[in-house]
Amino acid sequence: MNIVLILFQLAIILAGPIYMIGIINRVKSLWAGRRGPRLNQSWFDLLRLLRKTPVYSVVTSWIFPLAPIVILASTITASLFVPLVPGFAPYSFTGDFVAFLYLLGLGKVFLMLGALDTGSAFEGMGASREATYAALAEPVIMLTLGTLILASGHMSFSDLVIPQTDAVTSVLIRIALAAVMFIVLLIETSRVPADDPTTHLELTMVHEVMILDHSGPELAIVQYAAGIKMVLLAGLISALLNPFSLEHLPVLAMVVSVTLIALVAVLVGLTESLTARLRFRAIPLFTFAAFLISMICLVLVHSSQGTVQ
Amino acid sequence: MNLLYAGTMTLGMGAILSIVLPVNRFRVGVNLVAQFLACAFVLTAVLPVLFGGEVLVSTLAWSYPVEQIDFEINSVSAFFLAFSLPMTFLGSIYAVGYMKNDIASKRHVGVHFALLAMVQISYLIIYSVQNSFAFLVGWEIAALSAWLLVIWDHRNQKIRFAGFNYLISTHLSLLFLVSAFTVVHGVTNSFQFADFVPFFQKPSIQRSIAFVLFLTSFGLKSAFFPFHTWLPRAHSAAPAHVSALMSGVIHKAGLFGIVKVILMMGEPELWMGWTLLAVSSISAFMGILYTLVQRDIKRLLGYSSTENVGIVGIGFGLGCLGLTLHQPTVAALGFGGGLLHILNHALFKCLLFYGAGSIYRFTHTIDLEKMGGLLKVMKWTGPLFLLGSLASAALPPFNAFISEFLIYAGLLQSAPELKIGQMALPLFAALLAFVGGLSAMSITRAFGLMFLGVPRAPEFAGDHSKENIWMIFPMVLHLIGIVIVGLVPMLALRLVQAPAGMMLGDKNITTEKWLGLMPASMLQSVTFVVLTFVAVLAVLLVARFMLLPKSNRRHVTWGCGYTLPNARMQYSGSSFSFPMVAVFRDILKFWIKEDLPNGVFPKDGSYSTNCVDSVEQSTFQFLNRGELIIHKGLSRIPESMGFSFGIGFVGLIVLVALVLCK
Repeated sequence: MNIVLILFQLAIILAGPIYMIGIINRVKSLWAGRRGPRLNQSWFDLLRLLRKTPVYSVVTSWIFPLAPIVILASTITASLFVPLVPGFAPYSFTGDFVAFLYLLGLGKVFLMLGALDTGSAFEGMGASREATYAALAEPVIMLTLGTLILASGHMSFSDLVIPQTDAVTSVLIRIALAAVMFIVLLIETSRVPADDPTTHLELTMVHEVMILDHSGPELAIVQYAAGIKMVLLAGLISALLNPFSLEHLPVLAMVVSVTLIALVAVLVGLTESLTARLRFRAIPLFTFAAFLISMICLVLVHSSQGTVQ
Repeated sequence: MNLLYAGTMTLGMGAILSIVLPVNRFRVGVNLVAQFLACAFVLTAVLPVLFGGEVLVSTLAWSYPVEQIDFEINSVSAFFLAFSLPMTFLGSIYAVGYMKNDIASKRHVGVHFALLAMVQISYLIIYSVQNSFAFLVGWEIAALSAWLLVIWDHRNQKIRFAGFNYLISTHLSLLFLVSAFTVVHGVTNSFQFADFVPFFQKPSIQRSIAFVLFLTSFGLKSAFFPFHTWLPRAHSAAPAHVSALMSGVIHKAGLFGIVKVILMMGEPELWMGWTLLAVSSISAFMGILYTLVQRDIKRLLGYSSTENVGIVGIGFGLGCLGLTLHQPTVAALGFGGGLLHILNHALFKCLLFYGAGSIYRFTHTIDLEKMGGLLKVMKWTGPLFLLGSLASAALPPFNAFISEFLIYAGLLQSAPELKIGQMALPLFAALLAFVGGLSAMSITRAFGLMFLGVPRAPEFAGDHSKENIWMIFPMVLHLIGIVIVGLVPMLALRLVQAPAGMMLGDKNITTEKWLGLMPASMLQSVTFVVLTFVAVLAVLLVARFMLLPKSNRRHVTWGCGYTLPNARMQYSGSSFSFPMVAVFRDILKFWIKEDLPNGVFPKDGSYSTNCVDSVEQSTFQFLNRGELIIHKGLSRIPESMGFSFGIGFVGLIVLVALVLCK
């Protein structure tokens, strides 16, 4: 059983980035009245990039080619702890989410260092924005996890997301926290309204501007790692909302989980089609809104536990 | 214990010899040998204690009013001594490289090294005496030697100012310490720590007062917010190794003090834990926020010390809550994490300050906005500084990740006994996560400005004296420490087992019991994670450079089509931190000087912002106004003879009454 689950996780994490991007782009195209690229288009894009000879800026040092690899390694290691189905992660232990957050943090630091290494003002600007929004998103994630810990009494990622009761408040809280995680996903993976991956102007970019000087394999690795991060966050959301447990209905749980991840991608695509990006100054408020939702959930969890005792 | 006396004597001899000997080279050489011997003696004595050996005790007879001084090396003292002495020795080795020009000159460098030895003597006193008088003496030796070390370049007025600022703050700390000891003496009528214990064990108003006084004093010493104002100034003024030792080692005495008070209390009250937790989290947050706006690398590292003592304090506060509520797991995670973070901070902060000093010797500036591209020319300092700064942001696979992991695990343990407080702990965890995010931003900014891109000030680009082996060697050793703690957390946990056990009230805690207090298999798992990451990284590195296309094709950085980029067009430090600063603009205080170009034929304009420490600024403003208030009050007093006579007469009566009543 475990082997099957690990293979399942591996498949989702390796193939997820390709198809999530595919779904998002397809949704955006359909909404705009176009047919859109193939679902696995980014697979071909990545292959093309991997075969190309990179060109490096004359300013860069050894940090630049090293950075993408650190990013990918930290993201892959972090994916070991994330439950895509409630109750299972390839490796889980008390406090694994701290390791998850800090590994992703290491990746972000190297992404920014790679950007600063080029000495470009635009890339410095992107790094500065990325650092700000990442730092603002950190406490939101931690508080969400803290709330889940309080609700479930468990301290590892995979057990956190198992539904404890079917009480209405419990369901509501899970939905609210899934919404919080969705906001985090939009910010962390540089999607509208926090950032616009398809903007044509360097001045208005966050993530894309940091990789202006990456080319060939480096660019492929950074984009793939960013895709994995999106799958991980989407997987967390799907695990939060998944009503089926592995013990009773394993196959159904897995199917629902994949469907939910795809649904998150559809939702991201819809958000991108329907909203404009926020002004940079409004993004801290956006994050703060997510923080407040988490905090309300924390209070709700605490008070509901009080009534039980 | 005799080994410790021998160590102290050796250090004393070393200090004296390095002053009286003729040539600078001899002075330094003899001093280093003395310090090395002393380290060897002390480590042989304390390491067994740290790993659960017998507590060392000894008594010295002394004249009235002290009568006798007890010494005790328990596991907590052993823990502090075990890293303080070797690190100071490494600092002295670094000093040989850093002060190369001074040593070659006519200036008497022996004094400087003698002071370093004196600092070591002060550790031996502070960490072992059981008597408040002797403790104060040790405290004062540390303070004065540190002050004299800070003002080594005393010809510079700014450095003298920073020195006096430090001197005043450290004596304010002494003042609070003396008053705390006075309060305790008033109740116990004793100077011996052993007699304090019964007083500290029972809650009373005096105990609460003493706790607050101790906390203030030790907070001043360790630079908790809002008592931190002396610290960035002193660190920026002092020679690099002195800053390193002050931040990493000497001011850990304040944290030792807090540990000592908690040890004597055994079971603190609930409000004490919460107070410590609140004060510390504010320190951590404000400290890291200020690092974002510094231009001076050493000031930046100074503020980061405030952040890190804050993190240690969060651990201790959590430990206190655990003790009060009888939650051994919470207490073990809190104290274990806090103590380990003390060691970790000493490891990476010294490394970073040494790196800053190395950069200063290379570029002759500590202004971040003037550096750039150093990674290509500083082959040793660059990578060392990078790894040190990653460690300081608590990123895996380095040491601070382990200690912060323990603290997080403690903060998120569910403890129903806390009632409403149960909601507060996740908030503290969220704050700590925010601090982590900010420190990642801060180190990226600092490292990026200094080492990446191209040199911003062309005049520094050409000045390449070689990196000095005396300066690189201590940095490498510190890095080894960082990596070992990061990769083998079990070993680190073993280091803090006995001291943390002592704080939990179990002096002879066994390894099984200690590890049993940690949530199951947590640390093995962390080790696994860290090693997995390293393995994945290695595999990917090999794969990337073996399988995928490589190239030497070079091109200029993409500048949106602009063809004449120059170094000053790179992103600057203040613009890097601007988006975050904008969020907290109400907390930070800026001095903005602007002379914007206007009119039809504008002249050159200028715009400068300077983030000043808001606490320091309001203190100075208050002091200025205070003078005014006193002046106003004084001017109201009538200047007639009768009035002065009346006041004097009343004063005399009170004095006589006091004398007679006694």
